[in-house]
Order: sequence, then C-alpha cells, then structure tokens
Amino acid sequence: MFKNAFVFALVSSFFSFAYGQKFTLSGYVKDSASGESINGAIITALNTAESTTTNSYGFFSLTVKSKKQEFRVSASGYEATTETIDLSNNVDIVFSLLSTIETFEEINIRAKLNDNIKKIDISTQSITGKVIKKIPAFLGEADVIKSIQLLPGVTTVGEGASGFNVRGGSIDQNLVLMDEAPVFNSAHLFGFFSIFNPDAVKDVQLVKGGIPANYGGRLSSVLDVTTKDGNQKQPSLNGGVGTIFSRLTLEAPIKKNRSSFLISGRRSYIDVLAKPFLPDNLSDSRFYFYDLTAKVNYSYKRDKFFISTYIGDDVFFAANAFGVKWGNTTVSARWNHVFNKKLFSNLTYYYSRYRYNLEFSNNDDLSFNWTSYIENNSVKADFKYYLNPKNEISTGFQSTYYVFKPGNAVATNPSGTNNFSLPHKYALENAAYISHDANANGKFSVRTGLRVSQFLYLGKSTVYTYNDAPSPGQRRFMDSSWQVGDNEVISNYVNLEPRLGFKYQINKTSAIKGGYNRMVQNLHLISNTSASVPFDVWSPSTNNIKPELADQYTIGYFRNLTIKKQDFEASVETYYKDLMNQVDYVDGANLLLNEQLEGELISGIGRAYGLELYFKKNTGNLTGWISYTLSKSERRVYGINDDNWYPNRFDRLHNLYIVAQYKLNEKWDFAANFVFSSGTPTTFYTGQYTVQGYSIPDAGTNDRNNVRNPDYHRLDLAATYTKKKAGKWETNWVFSVYNAYNRRNPFSIYFQTNYENKGQNEAIQFSVIGSIVPAISYNFKWN
Amino acid sequence: MNHIKKLMFLSLSLLLFSCEDIIEVSVDQKQVKLVVDAFVNNLDTTQTIRLTRSIPYFQKSGTEPTVTDATVIIADTSNLKVFPFTHTQDGIYTWTPNKSTGDTFVVGRSYALFIIQGGDTLISITKLNPTVNAIDSIITVPTEGNGPPIAGPGKYIELHANDLPGKGNFYWIKTFRNDTFYGATRNLNISQDMGNTSNGQDGELFIYPIRFNALNEFFRPFRDGEKVRIEIHSISLESFYWFNLIVNESNNGGLFSTPPVNIQTNIFSFNPNKKIGIAGLFSMSAVRYKELIIKE
Repeated sequence: MFKNAFVFALVSSFFSFAYGQKFTLSGYVKDSASGESINGAIITALNTAESTTTNSYGFFSLTVKSKKQEFRVSASGYEATTETIDLSNNVDIVFSLLSTIETFEEINIRAKLNDNIKKIDISTQSITGKVIKKIPAFLGEADVIKSIQLLPGVTTVGEGASGFNVRGGSIDQNLVLMDEAPVFNSAHLFGFFSIFNPDAVKDVQLVKGGIPANYGGRLSSVLDVTTKDGNQKQPSLNGGVGTIFSRLTLEAPIKKNRSSFLISGRRSYIDVLAKPFLPDNLSDSRFYFYDLTAKVNYSYKRDKFFISTYIGDDVFFAANAFGVKWGNTTVSARWNHVFNKKLFSNLTYYYSRYRYNLEFSNNDDLSFNWTSYIENNSVKADFKYYLNPKNEISTGFQSTYYVFKPGNAVATNPSGTNNFSLPHKYALENAAYISHDANANGKFSVRTGLRVSQFLYLGKSTVYTYNDAPSPGQRRFMDSSWQVGDNEVISNYVNLEPRLGFKYQINKTSAIKGGYNRMVQNLHLISNTSASVPFDVWSPSTNNIKPELADQYTIGYFRNLTIKKQDFEASVETYYKDLMNQVDYVDGANLLLNEQLEGELISGIGRAYGLELYFKKNTGNLTGWISYTLSKSERRVYGINDDNWYPNRFDRLHNLYIVAQYKLNEKWDFAANFVFSSGTPTTFYTGQYTVQGYSIPDAGTNDRNNVRNPDYHRLDLAATYTKKKAGKWETNWVFSVYNAYNRRNPFSIYFQTNYENKGQNEAIQFSVIGSIVPAISYNFKWN
Repeated sequence: MNHIKKLMFLSLSLLLFSCEDIIEVSVDQKQVKLVVDAFVNNLDTTQTIRLTRSIPYFQKSGTEPTVTDATVIIADTSNLKVFPFTHTQDGIYTWTPNKSTGDTFVVGRSYALFIIQGGDTLISITKLNPTVNAIDSIITVPTEGNGPPIAGPGKYIELHANDLPGKGNFYWIKTFRNDTFYGATRNLNISQDMGNTSNGQDGELFIYPIRFNALNEFFRPFRDGEKVRIEIHSISLESFYWFNLIVNESNNGGLFSTPPVNIQTNIFSFNPNKKIGIAGLFSMSAVRYKELIIKE
C-alpha cells in the first residue's frame, strides 16, 4: 500500500513519461571472476543513447521504448561488453564484466569509455582496491588514505599526521564512511597507515564538491569506502607478509552466486621484532595495531542482505610506565530491496564507536586511567526511483543518536583517588533529503537536491553560559550553569542544505560540469595541535558551539583524448569555499578534561579556493596520473593575527603529484610516485626575555603563520615480481623504497631552550621520516 | 598533558625514522620590548622589580640590556598609599616593607603598578590573593624504583599542604635545593585549586603530580644534609594562565605542537597610540614556606 502511494506520488509529479510501450531492463553489474558488484558502471541503450549508472550496490534500472536493441555495459577497469536484449517484457539481468587488469594483453583494444564525460558527478574520484595496491607505499604497505592523498585537491599537514585535508578543509570535515558507517579516526600508528585493509576494499570514492544530497554531516568531502562482498564463485585466500605487518583475507561463497563472506585481518609485529633490543624493564612492552574486517551477504530474489563489521585498535603499552589504546568499531547491517524494476531501496542500521584509553602507572599505588569515546547508532533509509532514463529520484532519511564521553579520568595515589571525569553528552541528528537527476547521462543534465538536517543537543547534562570575553579571542568564563534532565532539548539547530550539480556535454569527449553545495557539520573535533592527536575529543554542537557551515562552488572542464591509440583523461576544476562558525582556540587553551571547554573556544570564518589540474593515462603499459593543485586556505578569527586573514596550518600553495605504473612484462611491474608540496606555514619566534629566571620566547608581533617551512618533496619507487601462477597459487614480491633520495623533509621547525647548553636557544627541524625507507613484502593469492 | 605528548612522541620515535636536526635560522627581532619582571610578595624581605629589554632569540640569555631610568611605584588602591621602588643596579628597583610604619602589602587588597619611562606611563592592577593556610610538612620519601618521575633509588620529597577551601585559588609552588631555585620552565609548578584541572576536588591535599612529581622530576635524589625550601605563592587567575603559556611554549614542537603564541602581559601603556611593546607580568603573592634539612 505504502509502495503504491509512494510510486503514485512520484508518478504524478512526473507525468510526462506515460506514453508508448516501454519496458525496463534492470539488474546488477558484476565482476565475472569474483561476482563482486560494480559501482558506477554505465549501461547504454545504443539505439536511443539513453543510459544509466549502477549505484553503490551495483544495481541499475533503465526504461526504454524500443523492443530489441543493443546495450553496452562499461566500467572503469573492466572490458566493455555489448549484448542484444529483446525487451518485449521487463527483463532482469546480471551483466558480468571482465577485469582489464587481469587481461593485460587486451587493454589496448578495449572500447573507449568516456565515463567521466557522461556522468554528472563533479569533483568525484574513484580508486579501486586493485589500483591502490599498485601505488608504492610507506614500508611497502598499500594504503587507502595515502593513495587518495595523491589526488588533486587533497593535502596533508605532513607525514605521520592522521587524516587528510580536502580543498582547504580541516581533517574533521571529511565524512569517512566504511560500508555506510562513519569512522571517526581513520589512522593507525598516528597517521602512517590507515585503518582500511586494502585486501578487503573494493573501491573508494572521494567526493570533493557538488556533494549529492544523500550525504551530509561534514563540510568538505565524503570518502566512501566500500568493502568487498566476498567471492561469490569460489573460495579464495590472499595475504602477505610485510616489513611491518602481515595480512590474511579469506573469501568464499556460502551458497554459490547467492551468499558469500569475507574475513580479513592485519596485525603489526613491531613489538615482536623489537623485543630483543628492549631493556629488561621494557621487555613486556607491546606496540602493535591490528584490524579485522568481516562481511557476509545473502541474496534472495529481490532482496540482498549485508552485515559488515570492522574492529581495530592501536596498542602502545610500555611496561610499568604507560599504556595507550585507541580504535574504531563499526557494525553495519543493510537490506537492499527492489520494490519493482524501478524502485531500489536500501535500509541501513549502523553502530560506530571511536574510543581511547590512556593509563600511566609506575608501581602499584600510583596510576592514572583515562577513557573517552564517541558512539553512535543510526537508522537510515535510501530510495532510488528510476522513473525513466531522464528522471531519477533519490530520497531518504536518517536518524542518529550520539553519546559522547569526553573523558573518564581517575588518578590513584598512596593517599587515595582523584576523579576528573566529565559527564556524558547526548545528541540526536535527523536528516531527510530528496534529489532529482534530470537527464543524468544526457547532453545537458541537472541534479538538484535538498537536505534538511536537524541537530538536537540533549540532556542529561549541565548547561553553561559564558560571559563575553574581555576582548576578542580571549578566554570566556562561566556565567551560569544549570541541570537539564534526560532527553530534554538544550539546543535545536535546523538547517537547509541545497545542492546542485550540472553537466553540459559539449561532444563525445568533452564536458563542462559545475556544482554547488551547502554543508552543515554538527560534530567538531576539538584539536589545536598541528597533527591531530588520537586523544582529541569530538564535541557536539551545543548552546555555545554553533553548527559549522560551508558553501562551495565548483566548475570544471573535462576532456578525454586519444593520443597514439592511448586513452587519456584530463580535467581542470576550480573551486571556492566559504566556511562559517569554524572552531578555533584561545591561546594556551586547555582542551582536555575541561568541563568548561566551551569557554576555551572561539569562532571564526574561513575561505579556501584553488585550481586543480588532472591528467590521467588509462591504457597501455604505462598508466598513472599527474595532478597539480594550486590552492589557498585561510582563516579569520577576531583576536588572532590582529584580526586579519591568516593561512591555515595545512595551507600549501603548490601540490604536484605524479603517479606512474609500468608493466614491463608478465613478471615485472614498476611503479613510482613523486610528491611536491609547498611548505606549510608556521610562526617563528624572533626575540626572548627573562622573567623570574624563566626564559620566555617572543614573536614580536601577533602575526600567525607568517613564515613557511621548507618545501616537501619525495620520490617513492616499487618493483613487483610476480611468479607464474602455479596451480591455484599466485605469488608476488614487492620491493619498495620510500623517500628514495633520502630527503629529510621537515614537518616543522620549532624553537626551544637547551638547558644542557647553558640556556642557549636553538631552532630544531623535525622530520618525521629522516631517511630512506626500504621494504620488502611477499603476497600470495590462492583461488 | 605535556607529559602525554612527550611519551607519545617518544614511542613514535622509537618505532620510526624521525629525526631532529639543530639548524641555523636567521630571524630578525621584530620588536624590542620593555620587559617588566614585577613579582612582589607579602614577606618582610626586600621586594624587587626588574626592567630590561628583550633580545634576539638566538642571543645568549643574561645579556639583556637593563632599563635604569624609570620611576617605579606600587600603590594600594584602597587608600592610595604609595610604595616607591628605587633603582639600585642592573635595572633592579627595590623597596623594603616596614611593619612598624604599616608599610606592608595586605592580603585581599588590590594594588596598582606604575612605571614611568621614556615619556610613557605604564599601568597594571592586580589583587593580592590569600595563599594556603599552612604547609603541614615536607616529608622525605625513600624510593627504590626507577623511571619517571624518579631518577634512581634514593630520597625524594613530598609536600603536605591543603588547598584553601573554595574554588578559584591559584598557586605557584617554588622549590629550592640548598637555596637554589628550580628555575627551568620544565620544573614550573602551578596549581589551580588542589590540581591542575578545573573539575578536580577542592580544599584537600595537592594532587600527586603537584606535591611529588614536580618537586622531584628531572633531579637526582636528595643527599643527607641538603636543605629543601618550598614556598607556596598565591597568584591570580591571570598569572596562572600566563605561567601555563610559558610551560606550553617552552616545549612546543613536533607533530603535536600548538600554534606558537605571544605571551600577553597584564601591563598596559596609558597611551594606546604609542605602540611600544611591553612584556612581563605584574603579580602579587601571599607566601607560606617551609624548610627541611634532609637527615639520615
């Protein structure tokens, strides 16, 4: 009944389609070898040139008039196929595509795709797990986040810093999703590795602009990581032994073509290797991280079910001194249902938690224990209605309940315990959206969307109000406080988030695309350090912290080229972003275990703009890309930098990334990356004075970030030797060199007093990686 | 928190390939500031205020030019009684209290500092807050262990004193070994109420990191016959944050550094247009102290 009413509502708003005899071709596009669904494949009816794109579950629906005709199915990284289908009825079908990476001989003869020209998506980049694995990486470990840091518009504050910055946004402004569940800290070992196990990752999509209405909650980007469903056809095992960790992934059908699972784990063994070198009192120390990704799926007629989970932790435990542990846990359960050939739905429930624990103890009667977490439960429904090839409608809603535990801290000492714990905070976030794609893959397409979000900061809690600061940028002190009861609304923010995207296809090989999005963010990572610390705390919007807002405008020109029978993709994009209610901090802010944290926060505005050039070679033995970004990211906060604009800590003017992969023969693959980034801004001390015997540095003026650190550049190389497949076994060795020409790239330059040298001040250049880092890893695959 | 950062940093360097190089950086001192070191207390001893000028960052400290031609006055704002400080040498201005004439600083009153120098008048006002009621004892703690905050087996000290009841008391705890003050910023020991966070308990013994760690960290154990002196100075909220910034800025590098800041002074010029740079602090403290000779 509901179904009919829903369809009727949609139909009545788009009555223009109801003429002629039309039938619907719907179904899935899958990888022929593993049965994995393919996201973003294009299905084109060749007669009418009408086309559609598979959604993130590989589903498509295309309604066309003519009865018998040819359909072409294409997807990046796959052979395009053409099939003749008689549409005298509605037809359900599964298209299977052959991966080009496996059939390297045929790459040169495959049909040109021009997918990027056809699709309306702007500022969107996808990388598959297979490509990620080919990029040379730190210590030979392929890495999702490190790979997207090579895309235009993406920068990082430096090596070893967790997260990434997209188009001048801070790291907490990226919505990082793993099978629909948000991840609050995507870093292992501070930031050297990301938590996504590349063996378990199917594809990764980064949306930097023109963000569609189904996404919300963060200002700058969406990084949507989809894990593999698990091989539907046959069992397969793959894994590797690397310099820093080992991996193992098992995937297999439970019931062929109907149900399968994947389980994948990694663990580092630095502690095991380091043990012989540690002094006795530290030999019980543990330093490791691990993660476990598991997924199971089941299809039955028009329904598909997925349950996926991720558990990962970093553990640093020095015997008798301190212990640190942090990690994410996510669980998501999804149900895809195809109501009729044209209406696809997905219902998701997820749970996601990021928590950390810190403890110090030097003997039995002295200890300090601190735990903190952010936890959320969410229900989300998404519908996509494929009205006709010219009109596709997406709609949905989401409701998320958050629990914040900013810090539970207890210190024990010989004379008792001190409790520094802060109370929990609670919030409920609701959102609904609708989005319409007009003529999605046609010549002129428009995507209009609207999202409405509501954020309720709820009790039980102590609510504070603060006095005005004596002057801008200064600490505010508590004015009054009162208690509110369970689920009582303390503040309620409702925001409208319009979204717009358009594409004008000039010809088969070129297009102009543009986009606008307003984004709203109600979760704020409270961090004033140059690289985010795992102990940074997330705070909801409260009566004192307003939601962050961003408006982004972007426009770009996309062009595909064929030079000497080789396919190239080129694009030029530019963007401008306005950011409001950005969180900043008073000088010397006390952000940890502070009940009156809000008094330490100040608010400012930001702006970011830039130009991104991207040139990619898709075919041939040599593939890869060149990406160049010219960008600026600035902030203005009253009370900082004499109220003038100043560059953000992660602002980098020039960013050049070159990624090249060369297949010499069936045995040898070579790869190289080159990265150049302008130095990040910093503030230098210029003077000093002494008060009460303390030597105090002085910058002279109040300028912030007025000096640049030296430029960053690095070359990485890798060679892969693949042994001939022996029976079901396939193995390869990866030899890699990170920082090949041994540059000491400075992360920062800081100033300090050297007490050993009679209080002489000195400048210290700190490099996170100060040497060349070679690595070997061994990978195997059985199927 | 600095300890946490340090430890994380340590664990990071242990595992990876990080390195630190001392480099030459040429920086031009942007502005020479008048530096006011005006920490005054209510003890009977001679009080000093020192005026100097800031020097380039890489110049050896102790070479600061002194300012000897200023007029320095502290005034009691409740009765406008004036206490003139006179220049003795090296930019040091002194004044000695006199109980018999009632020339003393009184807890609970606000005081104003005036400095007239080079045609400019500077002013600052602060309150003399009460300090702890008493220092119960300094005890020696024989310890066998090793590792922070302890540097090997031996005798260490612990301070037993209670925070004043009620929130909003701030202290600067100064420790002297054989009359030498623990002067490095890494030993700077300040407390907000009984702990270093705003949400701790109140009115009881100072928390362990303040009554033990900060008195012993970075030092060898005490030897028999050595003299320990601990002074607990009351400070204002303003001074507390000023000290906090000094601690933060003295050790602010690496991955987890915060933006460097200029530590703001509480001393202002009467003439807002004349942008002379001022640094330093005017702080008034009530003091309680205790001494102990370490015995066998």
